[in-house]
Amino acid sequence: MRIRRPRLAVFVTYIALVCLFASVWLTHPAPVHSSFALMSPTMAVANKVAKPIYTSRFASSGLLDFVHSSAVTALPDGSLMSVWFAGTREGAADVQVRSAVFNATTGEWGAERVLATRDSTQQGTRKYIRKLGNPVVALAPDNRLWLFYVSVSMGGWAGSAVNVMVSDDFGENWSAPRQLITSPFLNISTLVRSAPVFHADGSIGLPVYHEFLGKFAEYLYLSPDGNVIDKYRISRGNNSLQPTVVPLDGQRGIALLRYAGETHHRVLATRTEDAGQTWSEPYPLDPSNPNSSLAAVATPEHGLLVALNDLQEGRFKLSLYGTDAKMNDWRSVRDLDKSPDPLGNPFSPQAYKEIIGHEFRDSSGALRQPLEAQFLSNLDTRVCTSRGCEFEYEYPYFIRSPDGMYHLVYSWNNTFIKHVTFNDAWLSERLK
Amino acid sequence: MINLWQAHLSFAMIVFLLLPGFGLSRLWRAVLLAALLAISFIPLDGLTLAAYLRSHIDDLAITTLVFMAWGCLRRLDLLPPAQHGQISVLIIFAAMALLLYPATLGLSYLDPYRFGYSPRILLTFIALLTLGLFYLRHGLAVAMLAGATLAFMFGIKPSHNYWDYLVDPLLGLYCCGALLVLAVRAACRWLIRQRGPAR
Repeated sequence: MRIRRPRLAVFVTYIALVCLFASVWLTHPAPVHSSFALMSPTMAVANKVAKPIYTSRFASSGLLDFVHSSAVTALPDGSLMSVWFAGTREGAADVQVRSAVFNATTGEWGAERVLATRDSTQQGTRKYIRKLGNPVVALAPDNRLWLFYVSVSMGGWAGSAVNVMVSDDFGENWSAPRQLITSPFLNISTLVRSAPVFHADGSIGLPVYHEFLGKFAEYLYLSPDGNVIDKYRISRGNNSLQPTVVPLDGQRGIALLRYAGETHHRVLATRTEDAGQTWSEPYPLDPSNPNSSLAAVATPEHGLLVALNDLQEGRFKLSLYGTDAKMNDWRSVRDLDKSPDPLGNPFSPQAYKEIIGHEFRDSSGALRQPLEAQFLSNLDTRVCTSRGCEFEYEYPYFIRSPDGMYHLVYSWNNTFIKHVTFNDAWLSERLK
Repeated sequence: MINLWQAHLSFAMIVFLLLPGFGLSRLWRAVLLAALLAISFIPLDGLTLAAYLRSHIDDLAITTLVFMAWGCLRRLDLLPPAQHGQISVLIIFAAMALLLYPATLGLSYLDPYRFGYSPRILLTFIALLTLGLFYLRHGLAVAMLAGATLAFMFGIKPSHNYWDYLVDPLLGLYCCGALLVLAVRAACRWLIRQRGPAR
């Protein structure tokens, strides 16, 4: 028989255990999930700008590095901050997270600044770091600027963890990086790429994805001080990545997903009716997706603007589409950048240089115009192979700033980060 | 910076438990453990050896630390062999690992890891399990689960998820492996017994 007359020590231990679990039970209620915080652009300002505006500039200024995976956020003084990663190649140990600030008065992007390196991440997280990637930046409603980026300690991108830095002075000074705890399996295989979404109570919704064996998307729910307090699965399986989440109102939202499967090669969509806690089964939309990143924002007419590579293969054309909230009706707004060859076939170096020189001048602005000769003499093997030289426009990141302007940044041949901005007047004109 | 102290402890205990006994006396074994703790602080390119190990195994669960501490104390002959419940430890943590880790591959919308963020259901289950194990006098398992819950209450790990205090892949792998070895041994013994009467 196991049951014996309980001695005092045993009885006290029972009581202690009960008290321990009861205390933890009482002090750890479920986190309250808040509705989406909806940004209302200052329409008065937006309406004043009746003239259609569409401009483009390069946000980066280095000529030698591979640049990729940019993000942008609007700052309260009307300026913008863009971040991206740059290094000798993707995944190289010298890759840094860099930023630049757009001066709204001059209409030009300023000098590049290094925000995070392998070394700074290693020192902050006290972990060995092999490589960095995919930064995203967002200004919270409480005016704290958040930077999330990926780092890898072992293996490839599937071994990624998400790091976070925060600035209380709009990017002048940043906290040391720390890692978010997002997965029970060695805290690996969580990557970030798309714009964070803020909730009404200041909590942060961070769309992330996994690449370790499965390829699926999740919505991390962070407390206002940046700790993961919940997470929700957006998709499952092995065919969806890089969710871009667009709130439609306090509860409803849409996530568009990069298709990483082998079947239909189309953009996937899923919906939430409870501010990101549950998501419908993803379904394919009309536009094609060649396993490439895409970005979307909501429009005042309750539709969406989507920037994507509407191609079956390759990334030689980046297009802007408008669609209704049901995503049934897709209208081409503009091809943001594209190869002159409709099939994306490569060009001879000489022809390529002529084309890209013209494109460079379109977006260089006064500050970067003097770099043209150096840029053209530096066209390197990244864009040219034995087949010829190809164009690549990819990884768009989309926001709508409080003044109602739309801002889009993307990788321009992995040589520059390009910024395109336009207003509602331009959009209305294009959608007529 | 509790996680770094945890990394140094983890480094020292893992290496100590992996090393053979070398026929050392209890005192020298204690010196070896202390030396390993000191070695864990050796810097290499700006990071300590413990930090390098942590980069690959992440912060271990509190249950693992208690389990390894028990193993070290056993090696130092400071604790008698567990009277009960070693197999229950293996079964509990192997089951937790098998419940948790396959779901991280995204096979379905069900993600048991979420129960660690809103842990009341999980807490209730672990509380009942711990009380049951205490009734059965499985002291090691009780110490592991109660230690993890106490640490969760004080938030000594950077994670806000109860699971991260309860189990980690190393513990899960060890328990699954140990159960497999025990099962193979039992099967071999059974086969030998079956052959015995036939001779």
